[in-house]
This record gives sequence, C-alpha cells and structure tokens, in this order.
Amino acid sequence: MGAEIRGIGIGRAPGSGHVLKWVRAEGIDEHRKSSASVSQEREALVAGIAAGAKRVREQGSGGDEHTADIINALLMIIEDEELVSMAEPHLDAGWDAATALFLALDDLSGLMGDDEDFQSRVGDLRGIALTISASIRGIEGGSTIPQSGTWVVVADDLTPVDTAQFGPSVVGVVTELGGPTSHTAIICRSRGIPAVVSAKGALELRDGELVLVDPVGDRVVEGGELSDATTPISFVAINDEPLVTVRANIGSLDDAITAAATSARGVGLFRTEVLYLDQKVQPTRAQQATQFEEIFRAAPAGKITVRTIDAGSDKPVPFLPNGKEENPALGVRGFRLGLAHEDFQRDQLGAIQDAIDATGRDVQVMAPMISTVDEARAFAEMARGVGIASVGIMVETPAIVPMVPDLVGVVDFLSIGTNDLSQYLFAADRMHPSMGALVDPWQPGLIRTIAELLRHAKPAGLPVGVCGESAADPVFSIVLAGLGVDSVSVAAAAVESVLDALKSVDLSRAQDVAHAAQSASTPGEAREAASNCLKREEL
Amino acid sequence: MSEVVLPVNVHDPIGFHARPVSQVVALVKASGLDVVIRRVGEEGVVANSPLKLLAMKVKTGETLEIVVPSDGAEAEALAASISETINQEAP
Repeated sequence: MGAEIRGIGIGRAPGSGHVLKWVRAEGIDEHRKSSASVSQEREALVAGIAAGAKRVREQGSGGDEHTADIINALLMIIEDEELVSMAEPHLDAGWDAATALFLALDDLSGLMGDDEDFQSRVGDLRGIALTISASIRGIEGGSTIPQSGTWVVVADDLTPVDTAQFGPSVVGVVTELGGPTSHTAIICRSRGIPAVVSAKGALELRDGELVLVDPVGDRVVEGGELSDATTPISFVAINDEPLVTVRANIGSLDDAITAAATSARGVGLFRTEVLYLDQKVQPTRAQQATQFEEIFRAAPAGKITVRTIDAGSDKPVPFLPNGKEENPALGVRGFRLGLAHEDFQRDQLGAIQDAIDATGRDVQVMAPMISTVDEARAFAEMARGVGIASVGIMVETPAIVPMVPDLVGVVDFLSIGTNDLSQYLFAADRMHPSMGALVDPWQPGLIRTIAELLRHAKPAGLPVGVCGESAADPVFSIVLAGLGVDSVSVAAAAVESVLDALKSVDLSRAQDVAHAAQSASTPGEAREAASNCLKREEL
Repeated sequence: MSEVVLPVNVHDPIGFHARPVSQVVALVKASGLDVVIRRVGEEGVVANSPLKLLAMKVKTGETLEIVVPSDGAEAEALAASISETINQEAP
C-alpha cells in the first residue's frame, strides 16, 4: 500500500478505482463584464436562477428528510428576490448576470460574518451559483465521466452541476473541501457512493492511479485494494457488566424519561441551565425544587450527578444580566456566573437539596468551569451550606489539572468535560468550522492530559467521571476506562453502543488500548493504534 | 387593524439560523399574510424573505416578536407554530 490521505469518511462500504481529477468547465467561474443592457442581464439572472434551481431540485435529496431540509433552505436563499436586489448594484456596475450573482453571494457572506451555520453553507451556495452560471453562459461540460470503468472523482469540491453527471462508473469521491453535511457528502450518502471529504492533499493524487476510498478509516490509500479497507469493529461481550459505569447525560424531563428507557445506570451529567434559559424572571426556590423533583423521579435508577447552572454571555439567562463580552468563552461563565449572582446560586443549590429530601434519590452536585482551588472551596462551602453531601467539580480548564492533589478534603469527586477541556487546551473554539481537527478527542495532547489528571486523582482517592461527547465514541470509551476513569456519561442514544464496547474488554486489555492511544503523536495514529490494538485482542 | 403579537425567546444555541428561517418563510408564504418578525421596539422585516431574516443575525437568548396582521384563533395558531419552528432545534 502507498501513502494515505486523511479526511472525513462518508458511508460504510469502501470503493476502489482510478483517479479522475475533476476539471471544471472553462469560463464558468470567471468574472465577466457585460455588453448587454442592465435590464437584459437582470432578466438573464432571474431566468438562470430558475433554471439552476430546477436542476438542483431534479437531483433530489435521496429521500432523506434532513437533506431535503438543507436543500430547501439553500434554494429558498437562492430564489429569494432579495438576492436579485443584492446583485443589482453589480449589474449597474457593468458585470454580467453570473458575475453579479457571485458578487452578491460575496456580499451576503460578508454580511453574515461569523454566523457558522451560514458560513458552513456558503460553499454549497457558490456551487449552486456555478450551476446557474453554466446555464446563463451556456457552458456545459468540463470533465466528463466515462460510462464504463471504475472511477474515483477527485476535486476541491463538487457542485450540483458536477454531481448530476455521476453514474454507476463512479465508485468513490474524494474532495479537499467540504464537511460531513456539504452538498458532496449529501449526494454521496444518498447514492451510496463511498466518499472522503475534507481530505487535504487530495489534489496531489495523479490522474489514473488506483486508490482505495476507505470511509470507515477516514482515509484514501494510494494503491490500496478493497481488502485493505478498515472494517468497523464489532464488540463481543465477555462480561455481563461494563468495565466502568455508564451513565446518561440529560437536560430536561423529556431527556430523563428517554434515558430511563436505556440501560444507563443513573445520570452523569444533568445540565440544569436548560431549565432557566427561557425564564424571564428568576424562578423561586420552590418552583425550581418542583422541577428538580420531577426530573429526579423520572431519571434512570442509580446515582444522579447534577451540574449547577452553566451559562454565560453566549448562553444568556434573561434574569442573570451579564454584559456583552469580547470573548464569552473566556468571560463570566460557568461557576463564575454563579459567584457573580450568589443569591441565585444558593437558591439553586437549596432547591436541589429540597428535591433530594423529597425524592430520597442518591444525588451529587458539581460546579462547571472551576480553574482554581479557591473557586472549588467557594463552591463546596455554598453546596455543603445547604446540606448537599457529595460535592464535586468539572475539570474543563488545564489549570486545575496539576492542582488536583490540593482538592483532597475540598471536593468528593471530579468530572471531566472533554469538550471544553479541548477548547481551552488547544485554544480552539469548539464551534468553529475550521477547528475540528484541534478539538478532536483523539488528540494525544488531550489524552495525555486526562492521563495526568488520573495520576493525581487516583492516589488522592477522588473518583473521576467523563461526561463530554468523546465518551460516546465506543473505542474512546475503552481508552478512558483503560486510563482509569470510574464512569462515563453519554447521550441516551449512545448508551447501548458504549455499553457493548465496555462489556467486550477486561481491564488489562483496556489498559493496552489506552497505552497505545497515549503513545501516539497524532490523532490519526492514536485512533489507528487503539483500533489495531482492539482487533488484536479479538483474535 | 387588529394583529396578534407573540414574543418568543430564541434558545436554539446557534440562534435563528438558515434551516428554521427557511421553514418559517415557508409557513409565512403559505399563509399569504405579511407576517413581521422584529426585535422589541424595532421595525423588523416581513418574514417572506430568508435573506432579510438571516441579515437580522438573531443570536440565542434574544427575544423577538412575531406580528401576525390578523386576529382570531387561526392567527394565534400561526404565531404559535412560527414560534415553535424558531426553537424546534433547541435542546
């Protein structure tokens, strides 16, 4: 096998074929001045939009409802008369209809600024604009796909006009750009074409060379054959009980009911802020206690871990004013908000204790975003002050990791929030579309930080749970168990698959897997080392 | 003229974004009414243009008003379903 290119896999089955590098029709995306009148160009634009939209509709959504919603949203934007109004100044400046449309989309993208949801769709909107341009300028062609043979289409990104040509001879698609919900990914998923998107370096592949598209392995392998493809790991139970306790994450009564229908043992993260985000005035202690009581009663049997309010200027609570901040992620959020509104924080803790008294459930309470021993002390004092017996903190900032030995006697347990811990370790916004690779839980920098935390927590006798999304990856849950965490907590939908994984290994095997992941230098190596290690164990 | 005004707090974590916007526009177009969505005290926009709604850049935590230029149970039901659509992806 030759070199491999990593990306994000779409689909389960692999594909193997010859590289067909995609060449876009000449002139389709160039900026052109017009010799026709503004009103003629305006008409051409309106007609081109109608023709382009029709073409996108004809391609359909493959019957997937979510995909249909995305396509409808895109078409609604493209067909909005307001877009033609935005193109008008560019038509007045002498550009042709297609150029004016490109420029209007640039204006729109500038106007939407850092709106991530919109920015993640800009590539798709430009793709539709290229389709419209082809229609306006009467350009067809560019690459044509031979009807016979087996081809892997390689491109920067693909547009509806490109994918419309795909027939049975296309056995794989590789793009440098795009994410799991881009047009290319959607079309490939709906037609069952194996694809790897966001594959940096794909354009270096040579025309005609044989490659393996291996979506399960998130990679493209030069010279690879189908038999080299990564097989999804299947877990075979060797124990009746999982290696570590698996709990559920909840945020509402509905979540609690859903979680109770799974095999989760208790709740590892009850996000309480959801109860407050749409309240205009501060609910009374009795009102809060009633809500907690309902949720405690509905929650799956086992210990319930409640997290006190975790809000901030990016997730504002109307009755806890907190001015505008330049960097909400680095501002007054988590327990810092609780400290700024001490009366509310005491009330919330009191309400939790009232609900514990009323239901008799085994409940422990933790605070989010604790980065110093002083903050941990302040929280523990408040919580114990209202009678709460078991008090803990979330580990979300790197600063608290080396301080864990000093938390003995202050708190009773720790819970790692891997999402925020990644964000603060790597200085990478976890919602930012280009930061995905840095906030990957398989980053060895994160895995080794968790290992360091456990080296401090074990001798201190502090139990450690993990309630971030990372634990929902079954293989990663084995890594966490091998590192020594005492419990993991995941969304209800992931409970059964994580349980399957944690019943399939014993401690020494999990430790081997954790060691393999921890010894890697890159996330790709860590993922591969862990799954190779697991497969060896299966024999 | 009578109208129904319904306040709605946006708690979708990414605000009032492309997908709910397009579904609200679909509801408004189907109703044939010039439904306005506005911030309190502002003029707002007629909610038949996804671009105008997106350009409001509504973030999570903001309060909007849905103004249906009609009255009666139907107008109230329309306002309620628009409000629900705005927050349909909220956790």
